[in-house]
Amino acid sequence: MLDPFFSALAAILTDPYLLALSVGGVVVGTVLGALPGISSTMALAILLPVSFAMSPEAAMVFLLAVFSSSVFGGSISAILLNIPGTPGAIVTQFDGYPMARSGRAGHAVSIALLASTLGGLFGLAVLVVVAPVIAGAAMSFRSPEFAMATVLGLTMLAYSSPGSTFRGVLMGAIGLLCGMVGFDALTDVSRFDFGSATLQAGIDMVPLTVGLFGLAEVMRNLGLRREDVPEVPKMGSIMPPWRTLWPLWKPMSRGSLVGTFVGAIPAAGSAIAVVVSYAQEMRLSRTPERFGKGAPEGIAAPEAANNACVGGALVPMMTLGVPGDTMTAVLMGALLLHGLRPGPMLFADNPDFVGMIYSGLFFAVAATLVCNLALIRVIVLVMRTPRHMLMIGIAALCVVGSFAIRNSMSDVYVMLAFAVVGYVMGLLRLPVAPLAFGLILGPILEENVRRSLIVSGGEWSVFVERPIALAMLLLSLVALLYPVAAAGIRGLRGRKAAAPAPAAGGQDPR
Amino acid sequence: MDHTTIRALARLGAAAAALAVAASMPAAAQDFPEEPITIVVNFPAGGGQDTAARLIAEYAAQRTTVPIVVTNVTGAGGATGTRHVADAEPDGYTVGIIGSNFVAQQYMNENATTVDEIIPIALFGPDPGALEVRADTGITDVAGYIEALRANPGSITNGNDAPGGGSYIVAALMERAFGIEMTKVPYQGYAPTVAGLLAGEVMSATLPVHQFADQHKAGEVIILGVAADERHFLVPDVPTFREQGFDFVAGDWRALFVPAGVPEDRVQYLEDLFFETMSDPAFVEAANAAGFVVTPMRGADTLAHILRTDEEFYPVLLDAGLVTVNQKEE
Repeated sequence: MLDPFFSALAAILTDPYLLALSVGGVVVGTVLGALPGISSTMALAILLPVSFAMSPEAAMVFLLAVFSSSVFGGSISAILLNIPGTPGAIVTQFDGYPMARSGRAGHAVSIALLASTLGGLFGLAVLVVVAPVIAGAAMSFRSPEFAMATVLGLTMLAYSSPGSTFRGVLMGAIGLLCGMVGFDALTDVSRFDFGSATLQAGIDMVPLTVGLFGLAEVMRNLGLRREDVPEVPKMGSIMPPWRTLWPLWKPMSRGSLVGTFVGAIPAAGSAIAVVVSYAQEMRLSRTPERFGKGAPEGIAAPEAANNACVGGALVPMMTLGVPGDTMTAVLMGALLLHGLRPGPMLFADNPDFVGMIYSGLFFAVAATLVCNLALIRVIVLVMRTPRHMLMIGIAALCVVGSFAIRNSMSDVYVMLAFAVVGYVMGLLRLPVAPLAFGLILGPILEENVRRSLIVSGGEWSVFVERPIALAMLLLSLVALLYPVAAAGIRGLRGRKAAAPAPAAGGQDPR
Repeated sequence: MDHTTIRALARLGAAAAALAVAASMPAAAQDFPEEPITIVVNFPAGGGQDTAARLIAEYAAQRTTVPIVVTNVTGAGGATGTRHVADAEPDGYTVGIIGSNFVAQQYMNENATTVDEIIPIALFGPDPGALEVRADTGITDVAGYIEALRANPGSITNGNDAPGGGSYIVAALMERAFGIEMTKVPYQGYAPTVAGLLAGEVMSATLPVHQFADQHKAGEVIILGVAADERHFLVPDVPTFREQGFDFVAGDWRALFVPAGVPEDRVQYLEDLFFETMSDPAFVEAANAAGFVVTPMRGADTLAHILRTDEEFYPVLLDAGLVTVNQKEE
């Protein structure tokens, strides 16, 4: 597989047209990804028609550049504005925004960029070298495994959400409820629609996150009096010092690993990957209390995971013709329009084209790094834009973005409603991220639990009979019970027993 | 092309050419279209419905003076997008695309669009149903599949859409036609169903051929039969149900429509535009490459086709207890 890869890479590097397409795709993708309300899926869908006129090779080089860079772009607004540009960047803002506010915006963006690059390259390497193996493993996932992976994701979410675990769980549960509005995934029966056709379509993830994070942030700023407006923090230097950067290789590698594998599982997607890798870093850290206050690991790990998902998600698409998420579904649609069907036969019939896809992705990751390194100084200037102008612009984008996701006014109303919810939750000091993840993960959990039970004929034992599902269930239980058990042991033995073995999972959540 | 021009052309002795041009262009359509035409897809970008619509848009735009834009209005199993078109201004600038699940939804969802709210303008083609099994089931033909289920009802798990969706209906029609009973396992669309069959969660599937053509060639999945009048061009080695002695034709289709109330001349213009686009050999070639069967029909035939589907589906939906609204009188 490596020969076509290198020859295709050479083809891109020597062809100014392909080079320009890739770089252009990276610039457009970064900007679209950074705009609140435009997710990676939408960025691809918007630019899909542009790719029609191109040759299949050029179209893939262009779309992969957009895909890969928009994933990173989402983190820019998460870090600088506390508004995730794409849902995958929600976790990045936990530590990114505090870091930016403390005058290290440049550092935060650089760390995110480096982590993205590493994650992207890792995902790609796995795709090129061991795609069939990974695909085989991911394809052994059936509904019970999906269900338990989601349970693990939700548990990790409760663990990692800033503030008290109880509040995190509460918000997650509300998110799960919101995920049940609209058509039931298995029977197409409409639920909780109160007789309205608009609610039948359900609550889409994008308007919800845009409202909760975007417009709510604008409203919070509206509530500030002129003298309360936080001072524009100093930009600081762009590159963090080596001693900050070097220790991050571990969180980045762990994040890449989680991201690639979770990305490869159809439908699991980046939401589970970022949450799991963030919680994992918190658990492994000796100083988990720094998380949520600007810990570099808190940016590096989820960011690497988020970008590693790109390569991961391409694994089932390329090897089996099954798109792993909505982004790869659009990519696959683009290939179909060009008369190419991804899947096992593509490798046999058209290895050069497969090489082109791989090298296109490689070049996209590289171009994202180079372009953004060159532009970071300009990007962080966003922070210097007068607050009132910035907020007006964001408010407009929130409305446009939530309308554009599926061209329906009802999504705008959903967005407005959740802006109020997000604002009130901010006043009550309730964490918003679990609500968003509950909405994303809830439908996956419900659908897979119910499907498992249909297949098993109603036997709940299906969740413990399969080893991977059982392992994930046990992991979730350990994560849930550990704090309780640890507190019990502490109570019995006094302070001495409070230092836990790192292997057992570290400290209890704050 | 106004009348003076035609006369001028005629005077130049190009009468035949002018007549041909005039015949292909409805006289009253001079002021239409002036704005971009939007094709609303009721499923997300990247899916089959979306890919078909984008192909149509690309080729139709070459035959008209205005751009043709594709947008996705999704949700509620496709009902939201169809409703969006049915409620749009009936000026001919909003065109929708539907599949056979439109027929089922009329009886399952009180908010769904009914057939008298729309004017069908063209049929794109069928998406023939098929029956696929995992190679490790040891089943090699339709007869074997039916036998296994007759011997042991419910013993085969079949991956399909949620009730009302295209591949669910194919499965339900099959159960009815052959007096068998499968364990129908619902998935959210085609891609997850493919994943489910490949992962071995279900033993068979009733998806259209193109979803499994590759896996069939690779030997992992066996396509037992195609539920169409003819074999499918992607897998010419797979016989139809009829060839195997089972009179069974079923499957999805795709059609374009406009909301009721669009002026007749504009309907005519759109019908000509899309029918001619779909009859264009270049279009057919591109659509075939993407795995679609193209058999264009005009508006009246499309309506007849939709009504035929209705007659076929209704008893199945009624049997399955899915008819909750618009119940027909006995």
